[in-house]
Amino acid sequence: MDLELSEEQQMVIDMTRSMLEEYSTVDVVRVMEDDPKGYPDPLWKQMGELGLNGLLIPESYGGGGQTLLEGALVYEELGRAMAPVPHFVSCVMSANVLLAAGSDAQKQAWLPKIASGEAILTPAWLEPERGYGEAGVALEAKADGDGFVLTGRKRSVPYAGVATQLVVLARTKDGVDLFLVDPKAKGITSKQLLSQGREPHFQLDFAGVRVNASDRIGAPGSGWATWNDAMLQGIVLLAAQAIGGADRCLLETVAYSKERVQFDKPLGAFQALSHYMADASTRIDGGRVLVHEAAWNHAQGRSIARFAPMAKLFCCEAYRETTRVCAQIWGGVAFTIEYDQQMFFRRAKHLQLSWWDTPYLEGLIAADVLDG
Amino acid sequence: MDFDFSPEEQKFAEEVEAWLVENEDPVVMDHHRENFTQLSDTPERRAFMKKLAAKGWLGMSWPKEYGGQEIEGVYEFILNEALSKHAAPQIGKGVGIIGKTLIRHGSEFLKKKFLPLILDAEIEFAVGYSEPEAGSDAANMQLKAEKVDGGWMLNGQKMWTTSAHFADWYWVGARTDPEKPKHDGLSLFLVPMDHPGLEVQSLPTIGKDTTNQVFFNDVFVPDEYLVGQRGKGFQMISEALDLERFTMFTLSPIANRTEVLVDWVKKAKRDGEPLKDDPNVRRLIANIVTDTAVAKALSTRFVCAAKSGGKPPTVQSSQYKLFTTSLSQRVCKDALDIQGHEGTIMEGQDDAPLRGRFEGAYRATMNETVGGGSSEIQKNIIARRHLGLPKNF
Ligand SMILES: Cc1cc2nc3c(=O)[nH]c(=O)nc-3n(C[C@H](O)[C@H](O)[C@H](O)COP(=O)(O)OP(=O)(O)OC[C@H]3O[C@@H](n4cnc5c(N)ncnc54)[C@H](O)[C@@H]3O)c2cc1C
Repeated sequence: MDLELSEEQQMVIDMTRSMLEEYSTVDVVRVMEDDPKGYPDPLWKQMGELGLNGLLIPESYGGGGQTLLEGALVYEELGRAMAPVPHFVSCVMSANVLLAAGSDAQKQAWLPKIASGEAILTPAWLEPERGYGEAGVALEAKADGDGFVLTGRKRSVPYAGVATQLVVLARTKDGVDLFLVDPKAKGITSKQLLSQGREPHFQLDFAGVRVNASDRIGAPGSGWATWNDAMLQGIVLLAAQAIGGADRCLLETVAYSKERVQFDKPLGAFQALSHYMADASTRIDGGRVLVHEAAWNHAQGRSIARFAPMAKLFCCEAYRETTRVCAQIWGGVAFTIEYDQQMFFRRAKHLQLSWWDTPYLEGLIAADVLDG
Repeated sequence: MDFDFSPEEQKFAEEVEAWLVENEDPVVMDHHRENFTQLSDTPERRAFMKKLAAKGWLGMSWPKEYGGQEIEGVYEFILNEALSKHAAPQIGKGVGIIGKTLIRHGSEFLKKKFLPLILDAEIEFAVGYSEPEAGSDAANMQLKAEKVDGGWMLNGQKMWTTSAHFADWYWVGARTDPEKPKHDGLSLFLVPMDHPGLEVQSLPTIGKDTTNQVFFNDVFVPDEYLVGQRGKGFQMISEALDLERFTMFTLSPIANRTEVLVDWVKKAKRDGEPLKDDPNVRRLIANIVTDTAVAKALSTRFVCAAKSGGKPPTVQSSQYKLFTTSLSQRVCKDALDIQGHEGTIMEGQDDAPLRGRFEGAYRATMNETVGGGSSEIQKNIIARRHLGLPKNF
């Protein structure tokens, strides 16, 4: 048993952190809030050049071929920096879906471009008045000649405004299927809906959008299994992102509590406040090890069907609770736009509700524990 | 990074597990004793410890010259987790606190006298730090030790001495130098528990077992039984806690309760329907299982820090103790909530669900967030040593 990082792993962290400190400053993050494009070119370019966009993509497709553990280390830094990038939707979810189920032609066409950052793919998954599970996918894909016709509405599609391709989850007669769709295809209309985390989110309407049979990813009816598997890996990274955000939020709060004086004492000398911070640090430090354990297990080829949802469930709640008590410690200023605390506070809840929320994750864990 | 034990450690864990299964004995191993399973307080349990000693499993991390094997402390961690998983008595005070302190600070006389007895499981100790005025503030001990010819005369009172009613020897902190600052005026003594000047009064608890208060009436202790240097008592007590991270508060009993609860929920019915299909029950179970995994992660964290041999993993073990003890209580609370009115049937009756395991555990775990450094004390430690916040009390 040992929790030491290898020299290479530490280098990945250091490199990512110092790049983000330069290219993802709070000012940059603020400018990107609600921006329809949603990411700054210099940051995205740097990530591509440092190999971060292709980190988890095999070397044969121009990626770095790293494991989920290196991914988790990078995601803690992305969370710490609140980095506004389409990395998760493109380089993780879309890439994993293609890797797992894509045809050779689809992989050749997209993976190298995803790895370089040249193409941005984003999944169109959630729908109004529907949940996170398989039953939530209702957008219809009706067989028609040598292709399909897509009709329905998608919600909360991140970065759809800049996407090169959409990965659409749709219902066919076989079940759930995944399709590569050009976001500019005839019949798609889009509208930005502002989000709590201020990521560029879009509502997409599909009114009889034609796609070719060759744009289906994987065998008929295999879409949900592919998606579910990609999600299990993805949420481990989001758990790491949550830990990064929580850790920075706490460290900034600790520093503030040593400076701000009331009743002739620094705030940190009030036990009520110091105990909030001690509790938060315990959850963050424990959550981080859980994330590493989940990622490490995946890298060893072991199942993460239980670890992955546990990691996201715990770490997203740790993040949310950390931002709540930190806001309490800052006092009134935390409520103002001027101070940065609100940025963590909003993102923490946004992340908790995105990519499987608390009840859904609890359901997955309970099923694994009780129904096996 | 590696979350598995090394092949050698794994082999040892399997050897211990197999041995414990072979030596399964309901008289010695009883989960319903909850936290008190760690004590070796009956003839059967003492006999069990002798068998452990015969296996060479006591004092494994001690130096060879004192009968140890000089192997890594992680083996004692593995052993203690396995023992507590089976509700067997654990290695702890003797091998850990007292043995290690004597090895570092004891005279040749004390080492010769006590170390072999510890290795052979021939001796049980009681630890006497707490007093009416010295709880969390352990350095505030007032038990008086006055210098007399050839030794020391002890007078006063100890509180909460758990093993006093069956132990052979008493490891006691007392004030030898009242004129010095409070942390510098304490010394440690070894006193035979059958000394006529000691009066042990039982303090029944809402857990299964009793603890004690102990009164000292002119207890004469010869000079040779003062441990280490006079006035260094508090430093030795703190150091022993740091040396003894591997065998502190074990996780297995909590992991075991989580497992027992899950198994029970899988089979139980309510109003004719499987209880496991109740969405509220499912949410509670998902969170208990998740938090148990986090407790294990925090345990891995302090074990790895302790293994690395750097500075003592004080912060890591405080975080572990803080999180795990409150989880321990919550598992019992949630279990009773899941059992509903049947959860009120008191432990030990066949008609209770799981013979009342959780009714009993709910009571027995009440003290976990207080004993061994309360949750508030752990948070003070984390705030100061980890976050660098000012002293806050
Ligand atoms: C069953 C049992 C067995 C025990 N066995 C032993 C034993 O074998 N040997 C032994 O020496 N002791 C033993 N103890 C004593 C145990 O270690 C003490 O109970 C513990 O140290 C707390 O002390 P206290 O009970 O006096 O509570 P107090 O110290 O009076 O604490 C009361 C409350 O005040 C809080 N508090 C205290 N100081 C602070 C602070 N600085 N900041 C914030 N909050 C604070 C505490 O967290 C707690 O909530 C045992 C106790 C019990 C109940």
